[in-house]
Amino acid sequence: MTVLLKEPKETVDEIAGFSQETVRQASAAKDEPTWMLDFRLRAWQTFESLAWPKPTDESWRRTRLTGFKLENYTPFAVPNGTVERNDLEPDLLNALDEMESSANLIFRDGGLLYGEEIEDQHEDGVIFSDLQTAVQQYPDLVQKYFMTKAVTPDANKFAALHAAMWDTGSFVFVPRNTKVELPLHAILSQGDRVGGYHHTLLVAEEGAEVTLVDDLMGAENAFQATVVELILKDNAKVRYMNLQDFKHTAWNFLTGRAVLGKDTDLRWIQVSWGSRLTKAFLDLDLQGEGGHGELLGLYFPTRRQHIDHETLQLHRAANCFSDLLFNGALKNRARSVYMGIIKVLPGAQKTDAFQRNGNLILDRSARADSIPGLEIEADDVRCTHAATAAQVEDEYVFYLMARGLTRPQAERMIVQGFLQGVLDRVPVEGVMRKLEKVISRKISR
Amino acid sequence: MSTLEIQNLHVSVGDTEILKGVDLTLHSGEIHAMMGPNGSGKSTLSYVVAGHPHYEITQGDILVDGESILDMEADERARSGIFLAFQYPVSIPGVSVANFLRTAVSNVRGYTSKEADSNANGVIGSNLMPMREFRRELNTKMKEFNVDSSFARRYLNEGFSGGEKKRTEVLQMAMLEPKFAILDESDSGLDIDALQVVSDGINKLATEDRGFLLITHYQRILNFVKPDFVSIFYGGRIVKTGGPEVALTLEERGYTWVEEELVSGVVPA
Repeated sequence: MTVLLKEPKETVDEIAGFSQETVRQASAAKDEPTWMLDFRLRAWQTFESLAWPKPTDESWRRTRLTGFKLENYTPFAVPNGTVERNDLEPDLLNALDEMESSANLIFRDGGLLYGEEIEDQHEDGVIFSDLQTAVQQYPDLVQKYFMTKAVTPDANKFAALHAAMWDTGSFVFVPRNTKVELPLHAILSQGDRVGGYHHTLLVAEEGAEVTLVDDLMGAENAFQATVVELILKDNAKVRYMNLQDFKHTAWNFLTGRAVLGKDTDLRWIQVSWGSRLTKAFLDLDLQGEGGHGELLGLYFPTRRQHIDHETLQLHRAANCFSDLLFNGALKNRARSVYMGIIKVLPGAQKTDAFQRNGNLILDRSARADSIPGLEIEADDVRCTHAATAAQVEDEYVFYLMARGLTRPQAERMIVQGFLQGVLDRVPVEGVMRKLEKVISRKISR
Repeated sequence: MSTLEIQNLHVSVGDTEILKGVDLTLHSGEIHAMMGPNGSGKSTLSYVVAGHPHYEITQGDILVDGESILDMEADERARSGIFLAFQYPVSIPGVSVANFLRTAVSNVRGYTSKEADSNANGVIGSNLMPMREFRRELNTKMKEFNVDSSFARRYLNEGFSGGEKKRTEVLQMAMLEPKFAILDESDSGLDIDALQVVSDGINKLATEDRGFLLITHYQRILNFVKPDFVSIFYGGRIVKTGGPEVALTLEERGYTWVEEELVSGVVPA
């Protein structure tokens, strides 16, 4: 399915470092068309023109990058080519077995490791492909949608770097009125000590329906700048899950945006379990009337993890509904930041928007900051926001223990109960069970 | 036949002594009613027996069949057969009655005996009671104890009325089958119908192999549940123990009688 060019090791050493030349070589190694090289070079200029995040920037006030050095991470890893299913490591096989899917893609170190074609839907024109391959095979589609409609390179410093350096990624294209029954499943298993730039580009045409699950893992002592783009044409219905479970030594930056056309229906579930530090920018851009967008988040930082979500619910069109719910539990010395804005532009009358962030603190040394916000320029709207923070009540734990539950079981049950509001809305059963397992693993350690 | 013994129990919170030498012996098959005014320390006694960590035991002991349980955590005590029906059961959002009870029952009956080891690895719930078996038993007991079957799916005590909470406590007791049940004001705040249902539940569960400590403020519940012994609790200790007639005297003469005749020492306690 994919032709991967393996670069000799010495070439990589030569180009270690970040420069325009790195970008050129990365592109050449993939034998990319000129338009993609030009795109990368423009993005590199954008990257250079944007200032490095400063503690005085509103987005970075509560999330400091102390200790992060971009140059510590080899700019891109060398793919090793694909393997057969039987040759996958147990972890990856497990991840495949955990949920029933239409097709799977697995990425590792800058390339595709394993890929499956969609059997049934292929005739209908559904594309679920490695993005590098898609650049070659579907250049018109990729050029039209890649970082042009949803996330643009100037979104932030890391999005610009991503645009210049992107390596792995999935391209999902579902044509008009086509429904993909089972979820599509993309797994990124990032190697150690490298920089990674994983991309998700999903386009659902008019009336199309699809569920995509992104599973992100690995990345010991590594750096990842991910971009997620979901483009929903009129009447499209998309369920998207981003399950980030990187090693606790990874630096993770995510820029995601969904663009919703008329009468669309989107549910985005963002799960941020892993990484040493995560800064995620997540936007819902409601461009057509009658759009329905849900953005649901779960996080459970433990030890010294730092998880920061910054969200935007942008209502440009009238009669749209958006519902945001981010629930997190915090253990040990963990820290979370939630910052969100509902922005209603002048024409967006009859907007119905919610924004809620709840935090459950398991240890006194954990800290959760919550900064909800509204910017409303229309006069006939209903917008509400709420932020809560609660300690795990000793009385809850005692009650459950008096019924024979061990302390870890009691805590797990209370945390799971707290997160249930989001878990209940996970549309894939296998994924829900997987999330419950991670919760109990995090409680117990 | 089991025995729960409370011996010369002194308990403090901070500098305040709340229990000042409580002695009580409860055998299987007995119903022991403990009556006393608000603030006398009845609830503290029930919490201390169940293993609440916030109380300091300065003197005395609590024994089950001759073995001290003071070093046990609340969950170990539950597994050794002690059950506390709470006066104010907490509501836990997102946790369904069935999910919670299945874990509780599995632990108490020993389905999860291997779990203590696996907790460290985070594999909780690998030894749960089989779902079908659990559902069958839960459904049967919900019918028997007048709890609507919809409660299985509802979140624990969330949005329950006072009566529904108390009935759910009785249902939990029926599922956990304790050796000793301490009922902390299970009658408080109930109308007469709810009181009838809760009392029926207690009577069904009052078998030869189970002892009850029925803590109450009012004599009312004793019209439905017949105690073998009645104690009067006052000022952090038991001031009188006798048969059911003690409750009737208390009903007639009120706590002033206790204060004047029992506590001030006119009648030796």
